[in-house]
Amino acid sequence: MPGRECEEALDRLFEYIDDELPQDELQRIGAHLKTCPPCEAEHQIKERIKNLTARAGGQTAPEEMRQRILASIRSASV
Amino acid sequence: MSDTVQDFDFEVEALSYMDQLYAAALRMTRNGADAEDLVQETYAKAFAAQDKFTPGTNLKAWLYRIQTNAFINTYRKKQREPKRSDAEQVEDWQLAAASEHTSTGLVSAEQEALERIGDDDIKDALDALSEDFRMAVYLSDVEGFAYKEIAEIMDTPVGTVMSRLHRGRKLLREQLKEYAADRGFTDKRPAAKKESKGGV
Repeated sequence: MPGRECEEALDRLFEYIDDELPQDELQRIGAHLKTCPPCEAEHQIKERIKNLTARAGGQTAPEEMRQRILASIRSASV
Repeated sequence: MSDTVQDFDFEVEALSYMDQLYAAALRMTRNGADAEDLVQETYAKAFAAQDKFTPGTNLKAWLYRIQTNAFINTYRKKQREPKRSDAEQVEDWQLAAASEHTSTGLVSAEQEALERIGDDDIKDALDALSEDFRMAVYLSDVEGFAYKEIAEIMDTPVGTVMSRLHRGRKLLREQLKEYAADRGFTDKRPAAKKESKGGV
């Protein structure tokens, strides 16, 4: 059964991963993760999914659209 | 201050975000033609309103806010996605946190399966989320916006952003587990439940 520290760490895991925590909480949760394999495993999965999403998200704008937008801006700003 | 204003080239700076705005537009509209129209509309609005932008503040977030508003006003109506009520945004994720303390063996099986998931499956899983969840996850994971910035872009309190991130990521993870099971990366056991909402 997870204890109080685990509960706090799991509650705050997304904020931990997203770098949204104040320094003291960041350190406290980081220290807990080092000593608690189940919490650390959960941390790794959440971080992994965040990284996978980040990787899949990239996309290059179609050249034809880029040219169209540039042309419309140029004609509007002359 | 005058240095920043003089050195700031709105056109160059704004256009440098086109790839990102297009990628976000694709995730918003889930359709290439609509995504292109949306980006074009975003730039037309941004250039028309450029006097309202304060150099030195966050141009990327400003452009995303314009695009999000344009999407809501133009495309959401067209796409007719059912709008969820606020009652569904009850922040129950803290109650669920303890159940995440699963055995290490199950978790490492999930981890191994995740290693083998392809980008197309991830895009599909993201597209399967309802709009608010999809955008919150996208803005945080892909664009790296802070919660406060996402709150501004989506015009919603930070607490709602956190709730959408928690729920969106949970659904995304369940979806990825299903894909992994479908592809034979894991057994079916952990993916029995499907909790999809909206236009799936």
